[in-house]
Amino acid sequence: MVNLYNKRYYFFILSALIFVAGLIAYFAFGFKLDIQFEGGTVIEMRANKDTFTEENTQSITAQIAELVQNTVNKPAQVQKSTAYDTSASKSESYDVIKISIGSMDTLTNDELSSVKDAVIKELKLDADKAFINEQSVEPFIGKEISQNGVRAVLISFVLIILYVWFRFKVMSGLSAGVFAIIGVLHDLMVMVAVYLVFRLPINESFIAAILTVVGYSMNDTIIIYDRVRENSRLLKKVPLPELVNTSIIQTLNRSINTVVTSLIAITTVFVFAEINGIASMSEFSFPLIIGIAAGCYSSIFIASPLWVMWKESQKKNKVKPAKV
Amino acid sequence: MKGRNAVKFFSILVITGILTWIAYYGSILGFDIPGGYDMRPGIDISGGIDARLYAVTEDGSVPSKEDLEAAKAVIGRRLDDKKVYDRSITYDAQKGYLLVQIPHKKGEAFDPQKSIEEIGKTALLTFQEVDENKKDELGNYLPTGKNVVVGDDVEDARAEISQQDGSCYVALKFKKEGAAKFAEATERLIGQPIAIFMDDQLISAPTVQAHITGGEATISIGGQNGSKAQKEEATNLAQLIKSGSLPFKLEAKQVNNISPTLGSSALSVSLLAFVVAFILICLFMIIYYRLPGFVASIALFLHTVMEILALSWLGITITLPGIAGLILTIGMAVDANVIIFERIKDELKSGKTLHAAIDVGFKRAFSAILDGNLTTLIAAAVLLKFGTGPIQSFAYTLGIGVILSFITAVTATRIMLRAISDLDIAKHKWLYGVTMRGGKANG
Repeated sequence: MVNLYNKRYYFFILSALIFVAGLIAYFAFGFKLDIQFEGGTVIEMRANKDTFTEENTQSITAQIAELVQNTVNKPAQVQKSTAYDTSASKSESYDVIKISIGSMDTLTNDELSSVKDAVIKELKLDADKAFINEQSVEPFIGKEISQNGVRAVLISFVLIILYVWFRFKVMSGLSAGVFAIIGVLHDLMVMVAVYLVFRLPINESFIAAILTVVGYSMNDTIIIYDRVRENSRLLKKVPLPELVNTSIIQTLNRSINTVVTSLIAITTVFVFAEINGIASMSEFSFPLIIGIAAGCYSSIFIASPLWVMWKESQKKNKVKPAKV
Repeated sequence: MKGRNAVKFFSILVITGILTWIAYYGSILGFDIPGGYDMRPGIDISGGIDARLYAVTEDGSVPSKEDLEAAKAVIGRRLDDKKVYDRSITYDAQKGYLLVQIPHKKGEAFDPQKSIEEIGKTALLTFQEVDENKKDELGNYLPTGKNVVVGDDVEDARAEISQQDGSCYVALKFKKEGAAKFAEATERLIGQPIAIFMDDQLISAPTVQAHITGGEATISIGGQNGSKAQKEEATNLAQLIKSGSLPFKLEAKQVNNISPTLGSSALSVSLLAFVVAFILICLFMIIYYRLPGFVASIALFLHTVMEILALSWLGITITLPGIAGLILTIGMAVDANVIIFERIKDELKSGKTLHAAIDVGFKRAFSAILDGNLTTLIAAAVLLKFGTGPIQSFAYTLGIGVILSFITAVTATRIMLRAISDLDIAKHKWLYGVTMRGGKANG
């Protein structure tokens, strides 16, 4: 049987490398906050078919940014993206102009209309079809969302530790619960690193994704704990590292198959969203793919080995005073 | 297949069939039962506006629940006037904002920006002297501009039930200044009506019965005493009058406006993703677990249909993250079956008979499934409590999915698997992913 416990440091190093990448990205770019957190107004408009070409994209976006600056006297960021319209009889792709304005205060309705009108006039857009989406958010809403998010994560941690404490008394529940949460924290750090490295915007979906991974990663750890609980009754004389290792190997097929089915589901969402240019869905599903993979990984290679290490060190501490 | 097991097996198939029929057609045997098409799509799918109107109070305090309730009544009335009936207005009493969502409709001449601006304005409530001869074609009084009192003069308005005859009425209480003005007017206008307007809209026109000096008046409501209709009207009127004296202004702080095209293409894409994910997962289960995998696929189908029905019956708004949650749930729903089937394989390898292996497999897997699902449920409940809009929709789908997987992946799968394993052709261990020779796991 493979001894995963003896090889634990390799896995710790791998996780550490991911964290380091996240840290480097943090110092290089910092967090990219979505409009929900930063505050401001985003307007999305549908461009004409022939507006954008490979060469002129840069100059047109710069031109629109300047136009907005002149219209409402506020700095703007302009990006081009592509989306599909499947509502038409034949699904066709079209370019989207995304204009993000300001961070402190949102546009008034008059300002909003004047920006829209100016862009429609400048690029000769089809006025009826041009408008896609607009979002205005005051900056304090982001604070509210993030406070709620942090509170939700902390509360779920406390509840989960209490639950594991109660249900896994055989494994001295409290420590098992705490290390399960450490495994979850590992996954959250991996996800944050992914957001930093890929420069994904932090928004409400981020919090939903984080909490899903909390649930998922816990679930994975619990299945292994369940086997440890069962085996500790059956194999009373086996030393703990071996017992846990056996439990992990026994549940390995299940761990892999579940992560495969969940990844099939969420990857399908990501692929479809990406092909059709539905940003909100791909922004949500991509981090989930990473989080689910990390959740499976940490249950096997991080949470359970760390718990064993802690139990072993406790045993040593108990032995020492007896010697003195 | 033995008699009883066969009956159970076919009952599950029949139930699945009936539920699928309902989910698809939204009715059965002439009964209207909401199906998949009756799910309430969120703004991000149907397109529309979604605005958070924050209450701006003078002292920066969070308004009371009653005040928010009253503001909700005003906004509802304003949207009624615009013939926008398909909307939802909710409020968050903790943070003091109203969430107004109005879906787009085809061919609707309706400017979302202007509407939000308009509905956010506090309504002006006036009690006016009216001219009996000036009425519109419906027989309603027209505003004359001769104000007796205005909304700000009202201290409180509430619906009350009479101790004597059980009739419902609205009890009004005026502020000091308002009481004086009201006393003066009621003295002069006995036997004549005083009309109550919300902006220019007549909401009630009670006739003055007596000279009212104490600053407290009642408006009686017609109809059968104590009836539901009377009670509702009294409550409604009281809320409207109270809203005229709202102690706060409403300000739109977060506005989302999404075109219908974006929403509808997102919906069709996510539905397609759903079907593809479902098929891929079933294929994986069948290839890896063979016969049990096939049974799990039926259970997964039942799970999906039940989840769709649960969402439409509970009237939960479906958003894009909600659909993503739904798709993720089908990935996680087979988890229970994966755990069980791995156990069954273990038991078969250790030489148990098929029947015993299935029974022991289910029994041994149960504690793992229970603990795993309960922790996921804890996370879903926390999301539901602290999330807003789309996140709550996601939490609902996740939570319902976890609960349903208990029913389908544990119960339905067991019944079906037991029944099938009775068949002679289903006894071969290869069908359960175990090779005969050496008893080693296959795959």
